[in-house]
Amino acid sequence: MVIAQSIGHTRVVCVSRLDNALVGRAIEVSVSGDGENIVTLRARLDRTERQASARQRQLERYAADLREVFKQERNRAQELRSSYRATVRALSNAVEARDAYTGKHAERVTAYGIALAAAAGLDTDLVPGLEFGFLLHDVGKVAVPDAILFKPSSLDDAEFALIAQHPVIGADIVKDIDFLGEGKLVVRHHHERWDGAGYPDRLAGEQIPLAARVFAVADAFDALTTDRPYRRGTRFSRARAEIREHSGSQFDPEVVAALDTISDARFAALRDGVA
Amino acid sequence: MTRTILIVDDDPMIRKLIATTLEDVAGYRLEEAADGAEAIERAVDVRPEIVFLDVDMPEINGIEACRRLRSDPVTAGATIVMLTGGGAQAESGALAAGADLFLTKPFSPLHLLRLVDRIGAAS
Repeated sequence: MVIAQSIGHTRVVCVSRLDNALVGRAIEVSVSGDGENIVTLRARLDRTERQASARQRQLERYAADLREVFKQERNRAQELRSSYRATVRALSNAVEARDAYTGKHAERVTAYGIALAAAAGLDTDLVPGLEFGFLLHDVGKVAVPDAILFKPSSLDDAEFALIAQHPVIGADIVKDIDFLGEGKLVVRHHHERWDGAGYPDRLAGEQIPLAARVFAVADAFDALTTDRPYRRGTRFSRARAEIREHSGSQFDPEVVAALDTISDARFAALRDGVA
Repeated sequence: MTRTILIVDDDPMIRKLIATTLEDVAGYRLEEAADGAEAIERAVDVRPEIVFLDVDMPEINGIEACRRLRSDPVTAGATIVMLTGGGAQAESGALAAGADLFLTKPFSPLHLLRLVDRIGAAS
C-alpha cells in the first residue's frame, strides 16, 4: 500500500495492492484531519489487504485438499476394482478346480470375450461387470453332480434338464452382487441361441443381452481351439469357419462378423497372456 | 437437543467457507458471529458444543472472547477450537486462554471435517 500526503492539503491518495498490482486501483479519500486519520486509514487498508491475501491462501488450501481427495478416491476405486477382481477370480477358480480338463477356460474366454465385445461395439469401460460375468458364467455348475457333469456317454432327458438349470442356479448365486451389473445377464443367458433354441429362457435374437451373445461366440471359440482328452484343439482358422457355419442359427451374425475383425495373432497373444 | 457449532470470524467469506464445509456433515446446526462480542452473546443463546474462534479480530479478539466463554458457566463446556495465524506464540496464547484445540490458517478443510467428526464422536 502506498499512501501519499500532499503538504498543505488534506488530501490523501492511497493505492491499494489488493489485486497484486499498483496499477490495479487507486482510491482517493478526503480526510479532514491530520496524521491520526492517516494512521487509522492505513490500519484499515492494511487489514483489508491482509484479509484478501488470507482468503487467497485459504482458497488455495481448499484446492489442494480437493486434489488430494480426488487422488485418494481414484486410488481407492482402483483398489476396490482389483479386490473385486481377485474375489471373482477366486470364485471362478473354485468352479474350474473341479474340471481338470478345461484348464483356464474361464480366464481365456474372458480375455477373448472382452476383445470381442469391444469389436462388436460394446463400450467395455461402461460395462464394468462384463469381465466378472464372463469369469463367473459357469458358477451354477457347482450344483450339478459330478456323475452328470463328467458323464462320458450322452445324457438322458432328466440329466440334460439338470445341466440346463446351471445358468438359473448361477444367476441365483450372484443375484445380490451389485458390482456384477450386466455380468449377471451373462451368467443367466450364456446358453441362449440366436434362433431361440437355447436355454434356460429360450430367448431369441436381440432379446438375448448383447454381452451374452458375445460370450456365446467367445465360449465356442475357446472350446474349439483348446485341447480336450477326446480331441486336439483345432486351429483358429478352422474354429472361425465352424462358428461361421452356425451364424444366424446358434450365433448372432454381427458378433460372428466381429470375430473376424480380430486377428489370429491377437487371439494367440490373449491366449498366451492367460497361460 | 440440537447440537450446534458456532463459527466466529470477522471475515464473512471465511465464515461462509467453514459453514459450507460443515453443512450436512455431522448433523450440527451452524451459527455464525462476526466478532468477539457477538460471539459471546450468541454462545449464551445457542449453547454451542463446538466454537471455531478466529484469534485475529478487531475490538474483542479471539483470545479475550475465549477467556470470557470459559469464565461463564453457561458456555464454559464448549469445545473451543482457535483459528490462529500459526507460530508457537499464537498456539500457547490460545491454550493459555482456555482453547482446547487450534487450527492454523490457512486451515485444511479435511482436517476441519475430521476434527468435527472426532469431537462429535467423543461427546
